[in-house]
Formats: sequence, C-alpha cells, structure tokens
Amino acid sequence: MTEYAIDIVNVTKRYAEHTAVRDLTLRVPKGSVYGLLGPNGAGKTTTIRMILNIIAPDSGTIHIFGRPSSDAKVTERMGYLPEERGLYRKMQVKRVLKFLAELKGVKGSEAERRIDEWLERLSLKTPEKDWGLSKVDELSRGMQQKVQFIGTLLHDPDLVILDEPFSGLDPINAQALKDTVVELKKRGKTVIFSTHLMDNAERLCDSVCIIARGEKVLDGTVTGVKEEHGQRNIALALEGDGMHGIASILGDHSLVKRADDSNRFFEIELVPGADPQTLLRRVVESGASIQRFEMIQPSLHEIFLKKVGATGIEEGMTGHG
Amino acid sequence: MAKLWAIIKREYLERVRSKWFVIATLFGPIFFSAIIIVPAWLSSRSKATSDIYNTTILDATGNGFGHRLAVNIAGDSTVPGRMPEVRVVAPSLLTPAESTATHEVMDKEKTGYVVVDQQTLAGESARYAGRNATSIADMAQIKSAIRETILASRLEKVGLDNSRMKEITFIPLDFSTERITEKGRAGSGIASVMFGFAIGFLLYASIVIYGQTIMSGVLEEKTTRVAEVVMSSVPTDTLLAGKVLGVGAVGLTQQIIWIVTTYVLLQLRAPIMAKFGAPSMSFTLPDISLGAGLIFLMFFLFGFIFYSSLFAAVGSSVNSESEARQAASPLMIMIISTAVFIQPVLLNPTGTTARVLSLVPFSSPIIMPIRMAVIGIPPLELTASLGLLAIGCVAALWLASRIYRVGLLMYGKRPSLREMARWVSYSR
Repeated sequence: MTEYAIDIVNVTKRYAEHTAVRDLTLRVPKGSVYGLLGPNGAGKTTTIRMILNIIAPDSGTIHIFGRPSSDAKVTERMGYLPEERGLYRKMQVKRVLKFLAELKGVKGSEAERRIDEWLERLSLKTPEKDWGLSKVDELSRGMQQKVQFIGTLLHDPDLVILDEPFSGLDPINAQALKDTVVELKKRGKTVIFSTHLMDNAERLCDSVCIIARGEKVLDGTVTGVKEEHGQRNIALALEGDGMHGIASILGDHSLVKRADDSNRFFEIELVPGADPQTLLRRVVESGASIQRFEMIQPSLHEIFLKKVGATGIEEGMTGHG
Repeated sequence: MAKLWAIIKREYLERVRSKWFVIATLFGPIFFSAIIIVPAWLSSRSKATSDIYNTTILDATGNGFGHRLAVNIAGDSTVPGRMPEVRVVAPSLLTPAESTATHEVMDKEKTGYVVVDQQTLAGESARYAGRNATSIADMAQIKSAIRETILASRLEKVGLDNSRMKEITFIPLDFSTERITEKGRAGSGIASVMFGFAIGFLLYASIVIYGQTIMSGVLEEKTTRVAEVVMSSVPTDTLLAGKVLGVGAVGLTQQIIWIVTTYVLLQLRAPIMAKFGAPSMSFTLPDISLGAGLIFLMFFLFGFIFYSSLFAAVGSSVNSESEARQAASPLMIMIISTAVFIQPVLLNPTGTTARVLSLVPFSSPIIMPIRMAVIGIPPLELTASLGLLAIGCVAALWLASRIYRVGLLMYGKRPSLREMARWVSYSR
C-alpha cells in the first residue's frame, strides 16, 4: 500500500488555446489536509477534475490510493463538492441524496439510514419539520449548501475533494465546514481543497501546493514552505522618543535589506546571513525604548505574493477573506 | 450497471411523478378520441338528425298517404316515439290545423310539420315548416320520403301488391368512396389513412416533446453543476445512456397508456358518440400483427435515440434555455420538415418522395411507420430503412457523447460550430 492518497506524476492537460496544466507532479499524503492554492485560472479546477477522472490528462499518470484514477473502485472512495453548487431543483431532498449515494455504490436502505442521520446532525430534520421531504427549491440557500455537504460525504469517502469550498458560504456554514474538515482528518480521511483564500489555507492545511499558470510554484508542509521560502522578518515597536537613532540603523544596508516603516512600528527584513541579535543590540544601544522585538514568520499570503507575483493575481483577489 | 440503473430510475420516476406527465397522459386519449369523434360528429350534421321523427304530418289527401309517409320518414324504425305523428284533416280545416301545429312548434313540443294534400298525390307540391327547415340533411330526408311514398302509391295504382312494392323500392345502398390519383389507388381507405396519420403524429409529438425534455434536463444538470458531481461518480457515456433510456421509457409508458386508452375509448365509441347525438361510425381499426407492432416499436426506439442523443448534445453545449432553443433549431427543422411530408406520403405512399424519406435516418422513424400503416412494404426496403436508421443512431450517439462530455464542463459563451467540431476531436 502506498502512503499517498493522491500521486500525480508529470501531468499535462492542453486545450486548443492554452495549456491548463503543465507537467504537474504532486503528492498528497494520506490523512492530511491539503490545500491547492492559486489565482483563478491557475489550473486548480482542471487538476481536480483530472483527479476525479472527469477529464483525462494528455500525458502523465494519476494514482489514487495506489490505483489508477479511472478505476471504478477508486471513484467510490472519493467525495466531491464542486465550486459552483446546485442540486436538482424540483426533486425531493431525500431523493436527491439517495440518488447521489447510489451513484457512489451505497445501497438504498443503507443510504436512507445515513441520510436521516445526516439531516438530523445538520438540523435539517427536527421533530417539527423534516426538510428532507421538501423539494430542493423550497430550501434556503444555506440549507441547500448543507444538503450538498451531505451529498459529498454520504458514502463516507476516504478522499474528500472540495473545490473553493468557502466561496458563497454564510459564516455559520463556513464554520461548519471547517469543523467537518477537522473531524474528517481526525478520522483519518484525506481532504484536498482548492482555494485562493490564504488565511483559510494557512489555518486548516497540513500541506499546500501553489500553482500558477498551470505550473507548480512550490509545495510542501505549511511549516516547511514557510521556512524554506519565507524570509524571516522582525517586528519592532518603539515607545516615546529616541527615534532618531533608528533611522541610521535601518538605513544600514549591510544589515537591513528592507524596512516597512509605520512610524512607531517597523517590519524589517534582514540582509541574508545577518544576525537578528546584532540588530537588537544596535537598537538597544541607540537608546530607543523597545516595546516589542519579535521574529515573525511570513504568512502564506506573503509567500504567495512573492512567488506568484502581482501579475499572477487577477483583480479582486486579495488573499484575505 | 447499478449506476446506470440509478440514473435511469431517477430520470423515469422524477418525470412520471410530475404533474405535467399526468396531465399530458390523461389529455392524450381525450385528444385522440376527439380527433376521431369530432369529424364524425361534424359529418353527422350532414346526415338527418332525430329531429325529423318529432314532426307532425297534416294529411289532407284523404287516402292514408300520411301514414305511409310516416313509415317512410321513420325508415325501418317502428319505435312509437320515433315516428312522426299523423293528423288526418279535411282540406277545408287545413288552415286552423296548420296554426295549431305552428303553435306546437313555437312551444317546442314539435320540431315542425309537413302538409300533404291532393297536389302532393299528383306529385306537384308539399310543404314543410319547422325549426330545422335550414337543415339540408333533414329536408333531403323528408323530401325523399315523400317521393318514395308518391312512387309507392303510383305503383299500387298500377297493381303491384304491397310486398312486391317494398322489394322494388327498398334500396339499402352502401356508398363507399375511394380516391384514385395518377399513381393509382391512394390508399386502402379512410380508416388506415387516419391510423397512419395518428401513428405519424404520435411519433412526431413524442420525439419533439421528449427530445426537448432531455435537452432541458441536460441543461439543468449543467447549470446547477449537478453534472460535475455525477461525472465524478460515473462515466459521461453512462450518464448519457441513462438519460436517453430513462426518458425513452417515460415516452414509451405514455404512448402505451395513450394507445390502450384510445383503443378502449374507440371500442366504447358508440355510447360516447350517441351522447353527442352522432350516429355510431362503422370503421374497423386496421389489424396490426405482432411483428408489425415490434417493427413500429423499433422505429420509435431508434428514432428516439437518434434525436434525443442529439438534443442532449445541444443541451450540453449551451448555458441557458434561450440559447438552447436557438441551438436546437437545426434539429427542429429536421423534424418539422419531416412532419410536413406526412400528408403527401399518406396520399402517395409508394412515390419516390416516400421511398427516399423512409431511407434517410432523420425522417425514416416517422415516415416508414406511416407507410407501413397504409401499404405493405417489401421486406428489403424495410430492412434497408431499419439498417440505415441503426447506423444513424450509432453515428448520432458517437457524435453526441463526444460533444456532451466536453460541453458539460464548458461555461461561458455559446460555442460556434467550429468549436464544437473541435470538441469532437478531444480525447476526453
């Protein structure tokens, strides 16, 4: 048995006008929460569709739990929540869910049992009202999103694939989704999701892969990525007077590469190889009153901006959200 | 296989449960029966109605002419209520008798009255007055009854006895009509032409209705993105096959219900038509052998697969209902132009047009069954037609499945024909 839930090797997918994914190699360890990060149009959705065997790569191989992704047995172990969501509008909720479960090989009676369980768990079935008997379009948007989660997880998949799961979610459902992801990980499931929201990725993911323009920019564990690709910055906050001496220290290009001056707060990037202790000593010697001196790790957002560059980012993508 | 079954089941049950299906299924037999009953009812307007029995005969001839006329008007009926009432009056009292009869008509007790007198016996004149005086058929019936009665009394004078007289004047003529065109006989009768027309209409309607049903079903799955979820569970070909088979089964269910109930309604047509005041029409449905029935079924299934797979391809390539209508117009033109030929083919089922159209896959599923209903088709022609249609089906399915699997994932602007042609060449 392989230790990877997903093993993508040298995969390329071309369309008439452009190459959606170029020579991508990617390994998702079993039992991890994995973030596929990148700006819109980077090839995230194409990659996900290839993992799900919705489309086939032009070259390269994809293995899921050690088997080719076209294997029907593998399909049944995956659960998928597409980016834009919807259900059969005129169909009864329970029937939609039963249909989705049957497509994943869950038998009718077993499906019905699980559906009731899930509906109760997400409070769509209460003693007063069983929304499972309503038609989909009678449900609010938030409730429809819940139904969609249920559809994704009903067959208890070992690999859960969520494409931009947080887009369009209300805060309550977003929290529920985060809780679900954490719970799935605790149960040993593998979760892979694509997002352009770095904050979410940083908090939830064990590992990430950043792709842009169809190519992998970097990948690894979140801590590894930060250590490897982030410059170590220093946060410095001062009190009272004694700012004059600071200007000359920050201007010393043998020590400080770049300083972000916010009057009484500075974010400082040292010249590679420089010792933060030297900086601390010199600030103390300058007579300034130090309120805070801290080594800070860069955020994924910063790494992302640095690696992908502003050109790789489409309008409206802030990295916060 | 279980997954294909799940898709078929969903397509079938969701549609059969819908209100629309129930309404259309109930409406169908009523519609088809109306097609048969309304013309019969209209044609019955040109036959004499029962109004003529509820008349009065004012007999001023003095030799019992009125009684014989009453029998002739009633025809072979001897039911008391279905015979005109005869009042023998002296010629001098005719005027007051007429005014009494007029009042009876005005009070709606009677439909009208006939006056017969010496001039009638001489074959010169008779009079009728009544509410139905404008009914051509009623008047013709009364007029011919008077003529017959005059003829009978003249023959009697010559010395013919009563039984001989009946024998001579009784002419139960059954007048059947058949059309001949420059190509020969136009068909084996009204009933089979109507039957052929019904078959053509049924096939046409179900291809249009269920083809579009599939198209909007595919479009719904695409726009709601359900398609992506389903495609992550089953191959697109399975999804397409499930849709075509599921919706096809719905169409077949509806047709079977339509055919069975229409058949039952036609068997019960006598009491139903009597309610409309129309005499029962005598026609027999053409005998359809089991073999011919199976061939009809094959044409329906192949034709349905041919069109519905193409409709599915159209549905997958567009993003809204209005785009779908536009994109489906080439298909609709193919079907409608076939429907335009239904009547010419019925009138001339052996002509070149009919032969060619029953070989071309896009028209043969409608045209061939129509021809089969009215004439015998040589087995070779039948085999060629079915064979070409089967090849057409395979080609349509191949083309459709390739457009379908790419189209379902393509959002944004509607593709041009060139782009769609390129999709066909994509591996997957």
